[in-house]
Amino acid sequence: MVSNDFDKRLRDRLEGVTETAPDVWEGISKGLERRRRQVIFRRFSVAVAAAAAVVALALLVFRGPRTEGEVTAPVQIAGTEQPVVTPAEIPDEPAPSETPDIAPIQQQIAAFTKKQAVAVAQKPAVTETPVEETPAVEGPAEETPVAETPVVEQPAVEQPAVDAPSLLTEDDLPADYWEEESRPRRTHTSQISILSNLTTVSSDGDLLYIPSAMHASSQSGKGQASSQVEPITATNAPKFYVPLTVGLQVEFPITERFSVGTGLNYSYLVSQYDMLVDKVMYEGAYNQLHYLGIPVTLSYHFVQTPHVGVYASASAAAEKCVSQRYVYGSNTLNEKVGGLQWSAKAGVGVEYWFIPRMGLYFDPSLVYFFDNKQPFSIRTQQPLQANFEIGLRFKI
Amino acid sequence: MQETSSYTEAELIAGCVRGDRNAQRKLYEQYASRMYPVCVRYLGREDAKDVLQEGFLTVFDKIGSYKGEGSFEGWMRKIFINASLMQLRKSDVLRRTEDIEQAPETGGTVGNGVLEQIGTRELLDQIGSLPAGLRSVFNLFVVEGYSHAEVGKLLGITEQSSRSQLSRARTLLQEKIKKLYNGKQ
Repeated sequence: MVSNDFDKRLRDRLEGVTETAPDVWEGISKGLERRRRQVIFRRFSVAVAAAAAVVALALLVFRGPRTEGEVTAPVQIAGTEQPVVTPAEIPDEPAPSETPDIAPIQQQIAAFTKKQAVAVAQKPAVTETPVEETPAVEGPAEETPVAETPVVEQPAVEQPAVDAPSLLTEDDLPADYWEEESRPRRTHTSQISILSNLTTVSSDGDLLYIPSAMHASSQSGKGQASSQVEPITATNAPKFYVPLTVGLQVEFPITERFSVGTGLNYSYLVSQYDMLVDKVMYEGAYNQLHYLGIPVTLSYHFVQTPHVGVYASASAAAEKCVSQRYVYGSNTLNEKVGGLQWSAKAGVGVEYWFIPRMGLYFDPSLVYFFDNKQPFSIRTQQPLQANFEIGLRFKI
Repeated sequence: MQETSSYTEAELIAGCVRGDRNAQRKLYEQYASRMYPVCVRYLGREDAKDVLQEGFLTVFDKIGSYKGEGSFEGWMRKIFINASLMQLRKSDVLRRTEDIEQAPETGGTVGNGVLEQIGTRELLDQIGSLPAGLRSVFNLFVVEGYSHAEVGKLLGITEQSSRSQLSRARTLLQEKIKKLYNGKQ
């Protein structure tokens, strides 16, 4: 065959051929440096989130049970409420001139409030109020919020009763903090949260040309663009926009320190890459994914004060892609996506209650998205992500 | 196993896997002159430079996945072929068929000795000057040794189209070579 002979001779000529190449090392070096920084950022993000998770786990595991005498914020709250609800029972003993040791008083109040704070609030005639045993302490009665609290239809109250708990008064509480009658402790309060998530994006993509995918595209027939979209990148650096999640969650206490939560989240993911549609390459096309998810969260609250809470949480979530849209050139195309995206998350969180029933919280965490054959996105390319959630929390 | 001035090929690869910039530089210096002609064959000289750079970045990114099966140069060559085809798809030239339709189906053959009179650089330029679709099929089938079925998969065309384009490419290239040879006489 003449053609075969020509082919062979040409192949022999071209085999092992070399030619001085233009110097592109500088461009390569810059590209390598750029990728190195991306890798460092990715590792740093993962390390920070992992460290946070480890600290949270350590606190969760090694923190012993709370002792009876431990003074915590809820004790302070209940102790301060005391004089308001037990004015009639306060004896007329004169206040001692010396300031007593505070610790025994706090222990007594702690013991009292654990068992009877609410009951006392409803039945002021109870005689076991620890105030009876609590030596009143001279203090600026006019400075305590209790002194300004109107006690409707109550007999006149001697000031010493108000003085006693002033030991436990928290000056920085808002003036109206104690107005709520028998305000429940934090662990007995259900919450509702409005949240938004931001996730680190450090993946530089990892796609190479996939011949089989392209072949499938070419075989799918003319005029059926909907089945011909294959996410084939023409470069190895697809661009991922920062994923955004918003949602609503409800949290219920199950023990003094543990709570469970669930809710509904909406996530929006956008990727940009070159896309082959019916043998035409569209540069910089977009893929938009919309997910609705239901998370289930278990939280352990290891710090609880009136204003600040710190907790560790672990959660699992199932998300359904409700919409996938390709935008290439002037065209858009919607495609259905089957299956669920499962993920697991662990992290620590801090909440700040700036008024009694509303607070702000911040949850850094580490989240892992399992391989559930979901569309190409930052979640499939970078399944382990550092996640930062902020939101508003309301007690209900 | 090949050796460079101070590295064996295995050491060079291991260094690149670690991200050693010296090893990467050595690898580039050793293979740039071999990969550049590959890019020229698929793209012509104008675009070959960009793809040479992008191809090396991909090589350094993926070098950890090279398991020593087959020659390292062959593995690298596939990456540069891939990068070249990507570039062609981005510019959408593979889809343009006007030039292909105009190419002759038959033509004169290049006689013995003619091909040997053409320099390598000129030969690369002649291949690079073929219409993009034709030269892609020609390079993949004749030089790289892919079957028509594989060429069809790689380029998103049918097997029959691959055969037809190869025939046109071969004829057109022979015409160009003959013209070049006659110009030299």
